[in-house]
Amino acid sequence: MAYAYLFKYIIIGDTGVGKSCLLLQFTDKRFQPVHDLTIGVEFGARMITIDGKQIKLQIWDTAGQESFRSITRSYYRGAAGALLVYDITRRDTFNHLTTWLEDARQHSNSNMVIMLIGNKSDLESRREVKKEEGEAFAREHGLIFMETSAKTASNVEEAFINTAKEIYEKIQEGVFDINNEANGIKIGPQHAATNSTLSGSQGGQQAGGGCC
Amino acid sequence: MARIEPGNGLKSAESHKSLRSTRESLVLTDGEGNSFSSDSELNGYTSERQTDKYGFIGGAQQYSEQSAENIPPEVLRQREAKWLDMLNNWDKWMAKRHKKMKLRCQKGIPPSLRGRAWLYLSGGKVKREQHKGKFEELDSQAGDPKWVDVIERDLHRQFPFHEMFMARGGHGQQDLYRVLKAYTLHRPEEGYCQAQAPIAAVLLMHMPAEDAFWGLVQICEKYLPGYYSAGLEAIQLDGEILFALLKRVSPLAHRHLKKHKMDPILYMTEWFMCAFSRTLPWASVLRVWDMFLCEGVKIIFRVGLVLLKCMLGSQDKLKTCQGQYETMELLKTIDTRYMQEGFLVREIIELPVSERNIEKEHLASVRRWKETRGELHCKSPPRMHGAKAIMAAEPPSHQDLRQNPTIIVESPLATKRNGEDKERKKTKEEKNGKKNHSPTPVAANPFPEPSEPSPLLKDTAMQGSNQSLSSTEHDTYL
Repeated sequence: MAYAYLFKYIIIGDTGVGKSCLLLQFTDKRFQPVHDLTIGVEFGARMITIDGKQIKLQIWDTAGQESFRSITRSYYRGAAGALLVYDITRRDTFNHLTTWLEDARQHSNSNMVIMLIGNKSDLESRREVKKEEGEAFAREHGLIFMETSAKTASNVEEAFINTAKEIYEKIQEGVFDINNEANGIKIGPQHAATNSTLSGSQGGQQAGGGCC
Repeated sequence: MARIEPGNGLKSAESHKSLRSTRESLVLTDGEGNSFSSDSELNGYTSERQTDKYGFIGGAQQYSEQSAENIPPEVLRQREAKWLDMLNNWDKWMAKRHKKMKLRCQKGIPPSLRGRAWLYLSGGKVKREQHKGKFEELDSQAGDPKWVDVIERDLHRQFPFHEMFMARGGHGQQDLYRVLKAYTLHRPEEGYCQAQAPIAAVLLMHMPAEDAFWGLVQICEKYLPGYYSAGLEAIQLDGEILFALLKRVSPLAHRHLKKHKMDPILYMTEWFMCAFSRTLPWASVLRVWDMFLCEGVKIIFRVGLVLLKCMLGSQDKLKTCQGQYETMELLKTIDTRYMQEGFLVREIIELPVSERNIEKEHLASVRRWKETRGELHCKSPPRMHGAKAIMAAEPPSHQDLRQNPTIIVESPLATKRNGEDKERKKTKEEKNGKKNHSPTPVAANPFPEPSEPSPLLKDTAMQGSNQSLSSTEHDTYL
């Protein structure tokens, strides 16, 4: 399907915080508690609409264990957005956010939009990290923040879409150089068509391959 | 998202269905510690689930007629006899007839003896004998909470569609915990890496915990040293090696990956760290492991090269994947025909990539690493290329190779199993009423497959053992 823009996302955070479940909930609208552990990288894609424009999200889901950190770095390259996830029922996953953030800032482009996510909000009774703490951390580090539940799907759409909105706004403001693919953004055939009086999309521009 | 996809239906062939009840699954809990009462939350399977012949109830790796080959029972019986003979004379076969052993691994180890053969090939058997009581000792210790915590979190995420590992707290998960925890105590400086879990799980599908532990030790230390150490330098180096080898195997695929700046670790991490155990259809996983444990890491390289060549080796295919993501997607959803047991094994055997090629590229990639990133942090022991090299490095005593069955089957045909070799042979001759002067006593198979008719196995084993000492290979199934 034709799209106006394509954004690359990565999902990062400690092991077991629910990264793969968030991705699956967003792309397939289902929760699967029984699944294989992520080793290396998994990915998914979905089309969303912002400001009347079709935007394709390509999402890379990474392994969370610390020993994989050295290779997770190569996934950051060319990402326009990152979801940094912790588990509200495990304080340690919140405590590790700083190192994740350092890593992300160091290995990605400086304009990358980072959304902080406190996942497993359905497990209120086991909560170890207050919502206010997440908010404060996000404020302090200039991130957007949301609490989500991959299980009930609460706020999952919003998390991915709000990140895209932020990226989209940055494009409108001219912050992102959309011609540089290293920023994690591609212009799709649809965009090319609307911006041009010539009809149709140029074959060479069809970077997405139309698969979603 | 091929990985998380549940069963592709339950299309196992009629002849290989085994109906096993998996009642344990009824007490499953989800990731948040909530109990399941209904199976609907487990992808709609019913409690009486049908497993395929490998124990899978779903998932993309299940048995299918398209992905696996069938060996006629009589050929299997002959192979079992040959393997029993090899196991009984392991040192001789290793020393003098290694080529034939290699050929037999390429043809596939009979399922009934696979666990035992893997343990012998890997040198895990020798390690176990030389360190008697070690596993028990480690097993009794409490692990470092740092590792135990992560291991526990991972237990339900290993082969969740295999009957052994699907039940929370079931025997499979318990054993997996024991093996992985024991490893962290055995190598505290390495601890636990998540990619070790699938390796341990595959071993546990074929052998008891103690054996699986030693198998894991051998794979981590001899076959894939450094893969699971902090920093993952070894896997990154092997990524470079793979990429360098690809240039020769498929220049087109090489150029494509280079053009799209595809760092090898993007696509080869899971392949190599899990020795393809999460990538291929199960029949192919087993065949790859048969060869891998005999011949070493070059088999893993070859599988990777074959897949890359098949998926990216023609202009036609590349037309449809113009981008990093598209290429990744293609490599995550490999065409089943390229992973089909027979096809894949033939391609692997025929691919001319040797240990020497790998070592040469290894030196080159270490040199490049040092130039660009400085010294390596992790000094891994040298890699051993297969069973023969491992055995040569640490020669076992005769005693270490002796077979000692862990389960003695009390059947009329299997009485007096635990006596002396001589005694056993005599009993056998009496029972069978044959004059069979095989020098090789037959040990009871400790891990019989449910379908394995063991009395038949014993008889043919005795005959086969005589034959195979002088025989050429009769069966041509590859």
